[in-house]
Amino acid sequence: MITRLRMQVGLLLGAGALAIAAPAAAHHSAAAAYDETKKVEAQGTVTRILVKNPHSWVFLDSTDDKGQTIEWQIEMGGVPSMAWAKDGLPIGATVKVAGHPSRAAGSHGITGATFAKPDGTPIGPRGGRGEYTPR
Amino acid sequence: MRRTITPLTGGGMLAAAIVLMAVAGQRLPAVTAQSAPAAAAAAAIPDLAGIWDGTRRAHPINGPNVPWARTVPEGALLPDGSKADKTYKSNFPVLNERALAFQKIFDEPLSPKYDCQPSTPPALEFDPFNMELVQWPDRVLLRYEKDDQLRTVWLDGRQPTSRNYAVQGFSVGRYEGNALLVETTHYVFDVTGFDDYNGIPSSQQKKIKERYWRDGEQLKVAVTVEDPMFLREPASYTMRYLPAAKGYKLQPFDCDPEAARLSVQFIPPKYK
Repeated sequence: MITRLRMQVGLLLGAGALAIAAPAAAHHSAAAAYDETKKVEAQGTVTRILVKNPHSWVFLDSTDDKGQTIEWQIEMGGVPSMAWAKDGLPIGATVKVAGHPSRAAGSHGITGATFAKPDGTPIGPRGGRGEYTPR
Repeated sequence: MRRTITPLTGGGMLAAAIVLMAVAGQRLPAVTAQSAPAAAAAAAIPDLAGIWDGTRRAHPINGPNVPWARTVPEGALLPDGSKADKTYKSNFPVLNERALAFQKIFDEPLSPKYDCQPSTPPALEFDPFNMELVQWPDRVLLRYEKDDQLRTVWLDGRQPTSRNYAVQGFSVGRYEGNALLVETTHYVFDVTGFDDYNGIPSSQQKKIKERYWRDGEQLKVAVTVEDPMFLREPASYTMRYLPAAKGYKLQPFDCDPEAARLSVQFIPPKYK
Protein backbone atom coordinates (compact mmCIF):
# COMPACT_ATOMS: atom_id res chain seq x y z
CA MET A 1 0.00 0.00 0.00
CA ILE A 2 1.36 3.42 -0.85
CA THR A 3 -0.19 6.60 0.40
CA ARG A 4 0.88 9.77 -1.34
CA LEU A 5 0.79 12.98 0.59
CA ARG A 6 1.53 16.40 -0.80
CA MET A 7 4.54 16.99 1.40
CA GLN A 8 6.47 13.97 0.17
CA VAL A 9 4.98 11.74 2.77
CA GLY A 10 5.04 8.12 1.82
CA LEU A 11 4.36 4.86 3.52
CA LEU A 12 6.86 2.46 2.10
CA LEU A 13 7.02 -1.27 2.38
CA GLY A 14 10.40 -1.44 0.73
CA ALA A 15 13.68 0.20 1.56
CA GLY A 16 13.44 3.90 2.40
CA ALA A 17 15.70 6.65 1.17
CA LEU A 18 16.87 7.13 4.73
CA ALA A 19 18.16 4.33 6.86
CA ILE A 20 15.79 3.25 9.58
CA ALA A 21 17.25 2.95 13.03
CA ALA A 22 16.41 0.34 15.56
CA PRO A 23 13.40 1.42 17.60
CA ALA A 24 14.32 3.77 20.40
CA ALA A 25 14.53 3.11 23.90
CA ALA A 26 13.68 0.39 26.27
CA HIS A 27 10.83 2.01 28.07
CA HIS A 28 8.05 0.10 26.42
CA SER A 29 7.29 -2.38 23.75
CA ALA A 30 7.63 -0.40 20.54
CA ALA A 31 5.96 -3.24 18.67
CA ALA A 32 2.67 -2.51 20.43
CA ALA A 33 2.53 1.02 19.09
CA TYR A 34 4.55 0.85 15.88
CA ASP A 35 4.72 -1.52 12.92
CA GLU A 36 8.39 -2.33 12.61
CA THR A 37 7.83 -4.16 9.32
CA LYS A 38 6.83 -0.93 7.61
CA LYS A 39 8.57 2.32 6.88
CA VAL A 40 7.30 5.82 6.51
CA GLU A 41 8.96 8.95 5.23
CA ALA A 42 7.83 12.50 5.75
CA GLN A 43 8.99 16.03 5.28
CA GLY A 44 7.77 18.87 7.38
CA THR A 45 8.51 21.79 9.64
CA VAL A 46 9.77 21.33 13.17
CA THR A 47 7.24 22.92 15.50
CA ARG A 48 8.21 21.57 18.90
CA ILE A 49 10.75 19.35 20.59
CA LEU A 50 10.15 17.68 23.93
CA VAL A 51 13.49 16.49 25.31
CA LYS A 52 12.32 14.45 28.26
CA ASN A 53 12.49 11.08 29.94
CA PRO A 54 11.40 8.43 29.45
CA HIS A 55 11.25 9.40 25.76
CA SER A 56 11.74 12.56 23.80
CA TRP A 57 9.45 13.73 21.01
CA VAL A 58 9.85 15.76 17.85
CA PHE A 59 6.79 17.31 16.24
CA LEU A 60 6.61 18.11 12.53
CA ASP A 61 3.83 19.91 10.70
CA SER A 62 3.11 18.66 7.21
CA THR A 63 0.12 18.54 4.87
CA ASP A 64 -1.69 15.67 3.27
CA ASP A 65 -3.05 15.29 -0.29
CA LYS A 66 -6.11 17.35 0.61
CA GLY A 67 -4.08 20.21 1.97
CA GLN A 68 -4.97 19.39 5.54
CA THR A 69 -2.28 20.00 8.12
CA ILE A 70 -1.10 16.86 9.85
CA GLU A 71 1.22 16.65 12.80
CA TRP A 72 3.83 13.91 12.88
CA GLN A 73 4.74 12.89 16.41
CA ILE A 74 8.14 11.26 16.38
CA GLU A 75 9.23 9.25 19.39
CA MET A 76 12.91 9.41 20.23
CA GLY A 77 15.20 8.23 23.01
CA GLY A 78 15.46 9.76 26.46
CA VAL A 79 17.34 12.88 27.45
CA PRO A 80 20.84 11.34 27.34
CA SER A 81 20.52 10.62 23.63
CA MET A 82 19.18 14.00 22.54
CA ALA A 83 22.00 16.49 23.08
CA TRP A 84 22.28 16.94 19.30
CA ALA A 85 18.65 17.91 18.81
CA LYS A 86 18.78 21.52 20.05
CA ASP A 87 21.08 22.53 17.21
CA GLY A 88 20.14 19.78 14.80
CA LEU A 89 16.40 20.35 14.77
CA PRO A 90 15.76 24.08 15.26
CA ILE A 91 12.15 25.17 15.47
CA GLY A 92 10.99 26.21 12.01
CA ALA A 93 13.49 24.07 10.12
CA THR A 94 12.30 21.87 7.27
CA VAL A 95 13.53 18.31 7.67
CA LYS A 96 12.98 14.83 6.35
CA VAL A 97 12.27 11.93 8.67
CA ALA A 98 12.13 8.21 8.09
CA GLY A 99 11.04 5.53 10.52
CA HIS A 100 8.43 3.00 11.48
CA PRO A 101 4.80 4.15 11.43
CA SER A 102 2.36 3.98 14.30
CA ARG A 103 -0.30 1.27 14.24
CA ALA A 104 -3.52 2.96 15.34
CA ALA A 105 -5.75 3.96 12.45
CA GLY A 106 -5.49 7.62 11.56
CA SER A 107 -2.49 8.24 13.78
CA HIS A 108 0.73 9.89 12.67
CA GLY A 109 3.43 8.53 14.90
CA ILE A 110 6.94 7.46 13.98
CA THR A 111 9.65 5.64 15.91
CA GLY A 112 13.14 4.42 15.06
CA ALA A 113 13.53 7.72 13.26
CA THR A 114 16.42 9.20 11.34
CA PHE A 115 16.49 12.80 10.19
CA ALA A 116 17.98 14.57 7.18
CA LYS A 117 18.00 17.99 5.63
CA PRO A 118 15.86 18.39 2.49
CA ASP A 119 18.99 17.74 0.39
CA GLY A 120 19.48 14.42 2.16
CA THR A 121 22.33 15.43 4.49
CA PRO A 122 21.94 13.42 7.71
CA ILE A 123 21.19 15.36 10.87
CA GLY A 124 22.62 14.37 14.21
CA PRO A 125 24.63 11.31 15.13
CA ARG A 126 23.82 8.49 12.70
CA GLY A 127 21.03 10.63 11.32
CA GLY A 128 19.67 11.45 14.75
CA ARG A 129 18.99 7.85 15.51
CA GLY A 130 16.50 7.72 18.32
CA GLU A 131 18.48 5.48 20.55
CA TYR A 132 20.34 5.68 23.80
CA THR A 133 24.08 5.68 23.49
CA PRO A 134 26.77 4.94 26.04
CA ARG A 135 27.88 7.97 27.99
CA MET B 1 4.50 5.75 46.79
CA ARG B 2 6.85 7.26 44.25
CA ARG B 3 10.11 8.43 45.74
CA THR B 4 11.96 11.19 44.02
CA ILE B 5 15.59 11.75 44.85
CA THR B 6 17.75 14.75 44.30
CA PRO B 7 21.26 13.88 43.17
CA LEU B 8 23.76 14.27 45.96
CA THR B 9 27.42 13.55 46.02
CA GLY B 10 28.55 10.71 48.24
CA GLY B 11 29.97 13.23 50.71
CA GLY B 12 26.76 15.23 50.61
CA MET B 13 24.66 12.17 51.31
CA LEU B 14 26.88 11.18 54.23
CA ALA B 15 26.71 14.70 55.66
CA ALA B 16 22.95 14.73 55.30
CA ALA B 17 22.69 11.39 57.08
CA ILE B 18 24.88 12.57 59.94
CA VAL B 19 22.73 15.66 60.39
CA LEU B 20 19.53 13.61 60.33
CA MET B 21 20.87 11.08 62.80
CA ALA B 22 22.11 13.82 65.11
CA VAL B 23 18.70 15.48 65.03
CA ALA B 24 17.07 12.16 65.82
CA GLY B 25 19.40 11.68 68.76
CA GLN B 26 20.91 8.53 67.35
CA ARG B 27 24.46 7.48 67.87
CA LEU B 28 26.51 7.73 64.77
CA PRO B 29 27.76 4.47 63.35
CA ALA B 30 31.33 3.73 64.20
CA VAL B 31 33.19 4.49 61.03
CA THR B 32 36.51 5.19 62.74
CA ALA B 33 38.39 3.93 65.77
CA GLN B 34 36.91 0.48 65.48
CA SER B 35 37.70 -2.30 67.88
CA ALA B 36 39.94 -5.05 66.56
CA PRO B 37 37.07 -7.43 65.67
CA ALA B 38 35.12 -4.58 64.11
CA ALA B 39 38.15 -3.48 62.14
CA ALA B 40 38.65 -7.01 60.93
CA ALA B 41 35.02 -7.17 59.89
CA ALA B 42 35.31 -3.81 58.15
CA ALA B 43 38.37 -5.02 56.31
CA ALA B 44 36.35 -7.94 55.05
CA ILE B 45 33.68 -5.71 53.54
CA PRO B 46 34.08 -5.72 49.77
CA ASP B 47 34.34 -2.35 48.10
CA LEU B 48 31.39 -2.25 45.73
CA ALA B 49 30.85 1.50 45.83
CA GLY B 50 30.79 3.58 42.74
CA ILE B 51 28.71 4.82 39.85
CA TRP B 52 28.00 1.96 37.53
CA ASP B 53 27.15 2.11 33.86
CA GLY B 54 23.92 0.24 33.13
CA THR B 55 23.61 1.27 29.49
CA ARG B 56 23.94 -0.99 26.48
CA ARG B 57 27.71 -0.71 26.85
CA ALA B 58 27.42 -3.00 29.88
CA HIS B 59 24.59 -5.31 28.91
CA PRO B 60 21.67 -5.68 26.52
CA ILE B 61 18.85 -3.37 27.48
CA ASN B 62 15.30 -4.13 28.52
CA GLY B 63 13.26 -5.99 25.94
CA PRO B 64 11.23 -9.12 25.25
CA ASN B 65 14.39 -11.27 25.52
CA VAL B 66 16.05 -9.41 28.38
CA PRO B 67 16.85 -10.40 31.08
CA TRP B 68 15.40 -13.77 30.26
CA ALA B 69 14.81 -15.54 26.99
CA ARG B 70 13.72 -18.94 25.82
CA THR B 71 16.19 -18.81 22.96
CA VAL B 72 18.83 -16.35 21.80
CA PRO B 73 20.97 -16.30 18.66
CA GLU B 74 24.42 -17.76 19.03
CA GLY B 75 26.87 -14.95 19.76
CA ALA B 76 24.26 -12.63 21.26
CA LEU B 77 25.39 -10.52 24.20
CA LEU B 78 23.90 -11.83 27.43
CA PRO B 79 23.14 -9.72 30.52
CA ASP B 80 26.32 -10.92 32.26
CA GLY B 81 28.48 -9.68 29.39
CA SER B 82 29.20 -13.11 27.95
CA LYS B 83 28.15 -14.32 24.51
CA ALA B 84 25.50 -16.96 24.01
CA ASP B 85 26.68 -20.26 22.62
CA LYS B 86 25.05 -23.52 21.59
CA THR B 87 24.67 -24.58 25.21
CA TYR B 88 22.32 -21.67 26.03
CA LYS B 89 19.35 -22.82 28.10
CA SER B 90 16.16 -20.89 28.60
CA ASN B 91 15.94 -18.90 31.82
CA PHE B 92 12.46 -17.61 31.00
CA PRO B 93 10.20 -17.76 34.07
CA VAL B 94 7.91 -20.77 34.32
CA LEU B 95 4.50 -19.17 34.69
CA ASN B 96 1.54 -20.68 36.53
CA GLU B 97 -2.00 -20.53 35.21
CA ARG B 98 -2.72 -17.28 37.02
CA ALA B 99 0.21 -15.58 35.35
CA LEU B 100 -0.78 -16.97 31.96
CA ALA B 101 -4.28 -15.60 32.47
CA PHE B 102 -2.87 -12.19 33.32
CA GLN B 103 -0.68 -12.32 30.22
CA LYS B 104 -3.71 -13.13 28.10
CA ILE B 105 -5.77 -10.17 29.28
CA PHE B 106 -2.82 -7.78 29.55
CA ASP B 107 -3.30 -4.61 27.55
CA GLU B 108 -0.19 -2.54 26.92
CA PRO B 109 -1.74 0.81 27.94
CA LEU B 110 -2.36 -0.69 31.40
CA SER B 111 1.34 -0.62 32.08
CA PRO B 112 2.01 1.78 34.95
CA LYS B 113 5.12 3.15 33.25
CA TYR B 114 2.94 5.18 30.89
CA ASP B 115 2.04 7.23 33.95
CA CYS B 116 5.59 7.53 35.26
CA GLN B 117 5.11 4.96 37.98
CA PRO B 118 8.57 3.62 38.76
CA SER B 119 9.76 0.23 37.70
CA THR B 120 11.28 -2.41 39.95
CA PRO B 121 13.90 -5.08 39.26
CA PRO B 122 14.34 -6.45 36.62
CA ALA B 123 13.10 -3.51 34.47
CA LEU B 124 14.74 -1.00 36.80
CA GLU B 125 18.10 -2.58 36.08
CA PHE B 126 17.78 -3.00 32.34
CA ASP B 127 16.61 0.34 31.07
CA PRO B 128 19.78 2.04 29.87
CA PHE B 129 20.78 4.27 32.74
CA ASN B 130 23.39 4.38 35.45
CA MET B 131 23.26 3.30 39.07
CA GLU B 132 25.24 4.37 42.12
CA LEU B 133 26.03 2.00 44.95
CA VAL B 134 26.84 3.67 48.26
CA GLN B 135 28.07 1.69 51.27
CA TRP B 136 27.40 2.98 54.76
CA PRO B 137 28.04 1.03 57.95
CA ASP B 138 24.39 0.24 58.53
CA ARG B 139 23.01 0.25 55.01
CA VAL B 140 23.71 0.14 51.31
CA LEU B 141 22.04 2.63 49.03
CA LEU B 142 21.23 1.72 45.45
CA ARG B 143 20.48 4.91 43.59
CA TYR B 144 19.09 4.48 40.10
CA GLU B 145 18.89 7.20 37.50
CA LYS B 146 15.98 5.32 36.00
CA ASP B 147 12.81 6.66 37.57
CA ASP B 148 14.87 8.48 40.27
CA GLN B 149 14.63 5.42 42.47
CA LEU B 150 16.41 4.82 45.75
CA ARG B 151 16.60 1.39 47.29
CA THR B 152 17.89 1.09 50.86
CA VAL B 153 19.40 -2.21 51.91
CA TRP B 154 19.45 -2.40 55.68
CA LEU B 155 22.45 -4.16 57.22
CA ASP B 156 21.57 -3.57 60.87
CA GLY B 157 19.31 -6.52 61.38
CA ARG B 158 15.98 -4.76 61.17
CA GLN B 159 13.14 -6.63 59.53
CA PRO B 160 10.12 -5.36 57.62
CA THR B 161 6.76 -4.90 59.24
CA SER B 162 3.30 -4.86 57.71
CA ARG B 163 3.75 -1.13 57.22
CA ASN B 164 6.75 -1.55 54.92
CA TYR B 165 5.04 -2.51 51.67
CA ALA B 166 6.37 -0.19 49.00
CA VAL B 167 7.07 0.05 45.30
CA GLN B 168 10.67 -1.03 45.90
CA GLY B 169 9.75 -3.34 48.75
CA PHE B 170 11.94 -3.66 51.83
CA SER B 171 15.54 -4.83 51.52
CA VAL B 172 17.82 -6.38 54.08
CA GLY B 173 21.36 -7.51 53.43
CA ARG B 174 24.67 -8.75 54.69
CA TYR B 175 28.19 -9.24 53.45
CA GLU B 176 29.43 -12.72 52.82
CA GLY B 177 32.93 -13.25 51.55
CA ASN B 178 33.50 -10.88 48.66
CA ALA B 179 29.81 -10.27 48.08
CA LEU B 180 26.82 -8.30 49.27
CA LEU B 181 23.71 -10.44 49.66
CA VAL B 182 20.34 -8.69 49.48
CA GLU B 183 16.85 -10.02 50.02
CA THR B 184 13.85 -7.87 49.16
CA THR B 185 10.22 -8.53 50.06
CA HIS B 186 7.12 -6.43 50.73
CA TYR B 187 6.56 -5.30 47.18
CA VAL B 188 3.15 -4.01 46.18
CA PHE B 189 1.24 -5.64 43.34
CA ASP B 190 2.52 -4.56 39.96
CA VAL B 191 0.83 -5.59 36.72
CA THR B 192 4.23 -5.58 34.99
CA GLY B 193 6.34 -6.23 38.06
CA PHE B 194 8.38 -9.05 36.54
CA ASP B 195 8.36 -8.12 32.89
CA ASP B 196 7.00 -5.04 31.16
CA TYR B 197 7.57 -6.51 27.71
CA ASN B 198 6.01 -9.91 28.22
CA GLY B 199 3.35 -8.68 30.62
CA ILE B 200 4.27 -10.73 33.69
CA PRO B 201 2.86 -9.34 36.93
CA SER B 202 4.27 -9.63 40.42
CA SER B 203 2.45 -9.81 43.73
CA GLN B 204 3.03 -8.91 47.35
CA GLN B 205 4.75 -12.29 47.60
CA LYS B 206 7.48 -11.25 45.19
CA LYS B 207 10.89 -11.92 46.64
CA ILE B 208 14.17 -10.93 45.05
CA LYS B 209 17.53 -12.27 46.14
CA GLU B 210 20.60 -10.50 44.82
CA ARG B 211 24.29 -11.14 45.13
CA TYR B 212 26.62 -8.27 44.22
CA TRP B 213 30.34 -8.76 43.73
CA ARG B 214 33.26 -7.33 41.81
CA ASP B 215 34.70 -9.26 38.92
CA GLY B 216 37.71 -7.29 37.76
CA GLU B 217 36.39 -3.88 36.78
CA GLN B 218 32.84 -5.19 36.52
CA LEU B 219 30.09 -5.20 39.12
CA LYS B 220 28.25 -8.49 38.77
CA VAL B 221 24.79 -9.17 40.14
CA ALA B 222 23.19 -12.59 40.34
CA VAL B 223 19.43 -12.23 40.76
CA THR B 224 16.83 -14.82 41.69
CA VAL B 225 13.15 -13.88 41.65
CA GLU B 226 10.36 -15.78 43.34
CA ASP B 227 6.62 -15.30 43.55
CA PRO B 228 4.35 -18.26 44.20
CA MET B 229 1.39 -16.20 43.02
CA PHE B 230 2.72 -16.19 39.46
CA LEU B 231 5.84 -18.32 39.09
CA ARG B 232 5.98 -22.09 39.36
CA GLU B 233 9.62 -21.91 40.37
CA PRO B 234 12.28 -19.26 40.92
CA ALA B 235 13.85 -17.65 37.86
CA SER B 236 17.40 -16.35 37.71
CA TYR B 237 19.73 -14.20 35.69
CA THR B 238 23.17 -12.70 36.15
CA MET B 239 23.98 -9.23 34.91
CA ARG B 240 26.89 -6.85 34.96
CA TYR B 241 27.56 -3.17 35.26
CA LEU B 242 30.71 -1.42 34.09
CA PRO B 243 32.36 1.58 35.73
CA ALA B 244 30.75 4.83 34.64
CA ALA B 245 32.91 7.47 33.01
CA LYS B 246 35.28 9.15 35.46
CA GLY B 247 33.62 12.12 37.11
CA TYR B 248 30.14 11.14 35.98
CA LYS B 249 27.33 12.24 38.27
CA LEU B 250 23.89 10.73 38.32
CA GLN B 251 21.39 12.73 36.34
CA PRO B 252 17.78 13.29 37.40
CA PHE B 253 15.30 11.21 35.42
CA ASP B 254 12.38 13.53 36.09
CA CYS B 255 9.82 11.44 34.22
CA ASP B 256 7.52 13.64 32.18
CA PRO B 257 3.88 12.51 32.18
CA GLU B 258 3.18 13.86 28.69
CA ALA B 259 6.27 12.26 27.17
CA ALA B 260 5.56 8.99 28.96
CA ARG B 261 1.97 8.67 27.76
CA LEU B 262 2.06 10.08 24.22
CA SER B 263 2.69 6.80 22.45
CA VAL B 264 -0.35 5.10 24.00
CA GLN B 265 -2.49 6.79 21.32
CA PHE B 266 -0.62 4.72 18.72
CA ILE B 267 -1.60 1.37 20.22
CA PRO B 268 -4.71 -0.13 18.59
CA PRO B 269 -7.30 -0.85 21.29
CA LYS B 270 -7.36 -4.48 22.38
CA TYR B 271 -10.83 -4.23 23.89
CA LYS B 272 -13.94 -2.43 22.71
